Amino acid sequence: MSDILNLGLLQNTLRTATPVILAALGVLMTDHVGIMNIGMDGMMLTSAFFAVVGSYYLGSWVGGVAAALIAGLLLGIFFAVFVIKFRSDEFIIGVALNIFAGGLTVFLLRSMFGVKGAFSSPDIVGLPTFSMPWLEKIPVIGPLLNENTLLVYVSWLLVALCWALIYRTPWGFWLRAAGEHPESLRSAGISPEKMKYEASLLCGVFAGLAGAHLSLGYLTMFTENMSASRGFIAVACVIFGASNPPRVFAAALLFGFIDALGMRLQSVGFNSNLTSMAPYVVTVVMMVLVVLRANHRKKKLARA
Amino acid sequence: MKKTLQALLALRPKKKLNGEYLLSLGASILAALLVGAVIMLVSGHNPLEGYRAMLHGALGTQRNLGNTLAKSMTLCLTALAMAVAARAGIFNVGGEGQLYLGAIASALVGAALSGMTPWLVVPLCLLAAAAAGGLYAFVPAWLKVRLKVNEVITTIMLNSAAIYFCTFLANGPFKTDERGIASGTAQLDAEFMFPKLIKLSNLTSAIFIAAVLALLVWYVMQRTSVGFELKLTGQNPRFASYMGIKTGRLALVSMVVSGAICGLCGMFEVFGLHKRFVETVSSEFYFDGMLVAMIMRYDPLGIVLMSLFFGVLKIGAMGMETVGIPSETILIVESIIIFFMAAESGISRALREKRARRRARRQSEIMLEKGAGA
Repeated sequence: MSDILNLGLLQNTLRTATPVILAALGVLMTDHVGIMNIGMDGMMLTSAFFAVVGSYYLGSWVGGVAAALIAGLLLGIFFAVFVIKFRSDEFIIGVALNIFAGGLTVFLLRSMFGVKGAFSSPDIVGLPTFSMPWLEKIPVIGPLLNENTLLVYVSWLLVALCWALIYRTPWGFWLRAAGEHPESLRSAGISPEKMKYEASLLCGVFAGLAGAHLSLGYLTMFTENMSASRGFIAVACVIFGASNPPRVFAAALLFGFIDALGMRLQSVGFNSNLTSMAPYVVTVVMMVLVVLRANHRKKKLARA
Repeated sequence: MKKTLQALLALRPKKKLNGEYLLSLGASILAALLVGAVIMLVSGHNPLEGYRAMLHGALGTQRNLGNTLAKSMTLCLTALAMAVAARAGIFNVGGEGQLYLGAIASALVGAALSGMTPWLVVPLCLLAAAAAGGLYAFVPAWLKVRLKVNEVITTIMLNSAAIYFCTFLANGPFKTDERGIASGTAQLDAEFMFPKLIKLSNLTSAIFIAAVLALLVWYVMQRTSVGFELKLTGQNPRFASYMGIKTGRLALVSMVVSGAICGLCGMFEVFGLHKRFVETVSSEFYFDGMLVAMIMRYDPLGIVLMSLFFGVLKIGAMGMETVGIPSETILIVESIIIFFMAAESGISRALREKRARRRARRQSEIMLEKGAGA
């Protein structure tokens, strides 16, 4: 039992949850303005690729993160122009974006690095890890909070920041109004379209960070389709957490825990294909639970 | 009665396949091919040579033509599967998983009935594939209709779950005993396989079943009251239920049919090509089909034609590899077509508005001139 449930499991939970958390923050931004971003998976994947490109050519992790951010931002603008300006179906654009990202990354992988499947090189600089010596003395929490990459800490900070931004500032109020009552917002003199654009741009930025963590966080390599539906799991987390950053954060941690548990079970001899199913099945169960809980609450209110 | 008729007329699809649409479709395809040419130029290839290799790879020889037709068949069926569900307003993104389950179910049934007459086994395998795909589609459909759980996310999740599950089965409990086969179920009897129509190509007699299926889908969707109810449900579920249509049940049925078609696609791959279930039975075939369906706005006839074109692109991409151009170039071209088409109404509206504004300005200028002249 102690082989499975130990500190390493919690550490892995943080590792696997972080890209989902960052992606989910992006998805919840657009969700507040009433756009469901199915294309997050492709945005992450493309950003992950450009993170490797930036890190490889510029020789620093800063370059990698910058490249990923630019890629994410451009995709965010692209998504926004189609969905907001041309009023295309966000679902179709999202699906197309995912296919586009799959094709583009493999194409560039082959034409830039001449490899198929995966690209790794000692010249790719990964994200730095941080340790705080004074934390080491505390059991469990010490090693858990230490030795993480920069983006893990950034993601925690961003969860708090996003919550404050959405629920405690006028901008956040407008953001939510753009999704719920766009006409009231317009009559208050603020363009809902402008809010939608800003949300999409932020979404792109978060996709960039998520991608950077995916390819530079622990593995420092890019593999074909390495996002492995994490963008969709992020969407599920947003639905699960009702677009509230701390709740979405909790959902993403839960997903990370299941994923890490699967990997752990694999190492003690469980079939890897069966354990790989776990996060996806759990996500479906999570989606059902959300609805059941909401129905239950509604019934309770009706009775009261 | 007259009122209902008026209401029905008002419900006519806002987005229809008309001349204007087909015109912009042609323009989009041309523009996407141009983008593809630019990509080839930038990566140091001759685009003319690339497209010539594509055409040769898709249509050049009998064998290539057969492969293209086989590809178009899969595209057409998966696209119709998407369309059947989408007409009822439910998005089946889980066709890939349904295809995998159909493939493995038929492969297992076929292997278990080894030695019996194909006249019994093949229909049973068809049934098994349709049932497996349909049942797997029923889960997200039921969750959607009963509990309003977002079907887009659940079907995507169920894709990955199904693929891992089938891989587990093919590597574990149902792995073949044959030597030299790393993974996959037991091999099927040669008599069970669909006969090849063109030697060495992937084109088999399964295409006749596919054609009947496509015809059936077209007929039900375009020519029967069920098809009309389906359309109503998809466009305005509230109105449809006021009309007495059981919208929930209709959505459920259409999703199950959609899953069953996907399951059959998996069966055709196994019984036409692989002779057993293998993990690589599909490589995102369903997503290509989805693109075709969305580009043609779920119109059955349009889907058939478009899947022929996409078949040429897909198989032609392999031909481009022979002159050193990555086949993924075509994947980019395809997604650009859909970007353009998704934005089509937006772009044409913007153009219309611009034209209207120019006309208004001209008219006011004329008025002013007249005023000045008077």
